[in-house]
Amino acid sequence: MELTDSKKGNFLIINLVGRLDTSNYGELEKKLLTFIENGENHIVVDCSEMVYVSSSGLRVFLMALKKTTSTGGKLYLCALQENIREIFEIAGFTSIFTIFNTQEEAVK
Amino acid sequence: MKEKQITIANRIDQLDFMVTELEILCEEWEIPMNISINLNLVLEELVTNIIFYGYEDQNEHEINIHFTFDDNRIEIVLVDDAKEFNLLLAAEPEFNTPIEEMKIGGLGIHLVKKIMNEIKYERSDNKNILKLVKNLN
Repeated sequence: MELTDSKKGNFLIINLVGRLDTSNYGELEKKLLTFIENGENHIVVDCSEMVYVSSSGLRVFLMALKKTTSTGGKLYLCALQENIREIFEIAGFTSIFTIFNTQEEAVK
Repeated sequence: MKEKQITIANRIDQLDFMVTELEILCEEWEIPMNISINLNLVLEELVTNIIFYGYEDQNEHEINIHFTFDDNRIEIVLVDDAKEFNLLLAAEPEFNTPIEEMKIGGLGIHLVKKIMNEIKYERSDNKNILKLVKNLN
């Protein structure tokens, strides 16, 4: 997995490339926590190049959603591939998360 | 009928090997990508649980995963000698509670139950035998 950060307006954007699984979810967790602790609580995770997510990865998103929401921030996800969206649906996450089709829509 | 068996040790670094073997199998058996990803998620969840929580000693143990594919039906039998764990009895996450109050747990088990069409658990000869079925249509 590779993570790249950028900033668009108020939003911090994390681009996630590859597999988010048991072996590497800690990297994303650490990054998100660091940003949120530093006051960057408007975050978009761009999932256009995410090809797999395990439950440990889903738990990181849930943790980040709780942290951003409780500090008055936002956590958006965007551009999920169809197979990944299916997993989010099975997990019941599509009703919990705000998911945009594109990064442009997310940062509007 | 097609079949294949994978044996891994109870170390987390074995997940990579398991995933690679699963990918090869899905390609050879022409299993659609979304099903392949779902099976990957299910196996990662179950095997991670066994490795992290199943053993009280420091010894090496074998985990066997047996796949059969017949008539659009994939059957996976997972056998381990870890302590007894019946996932059919495991608690479900609470999705109706507000996000701030939701506990982060039980999610993986919930996914396994949602993804697979049939699950059967048996404890026999000090082993957990978990039979999982996924229908392709």
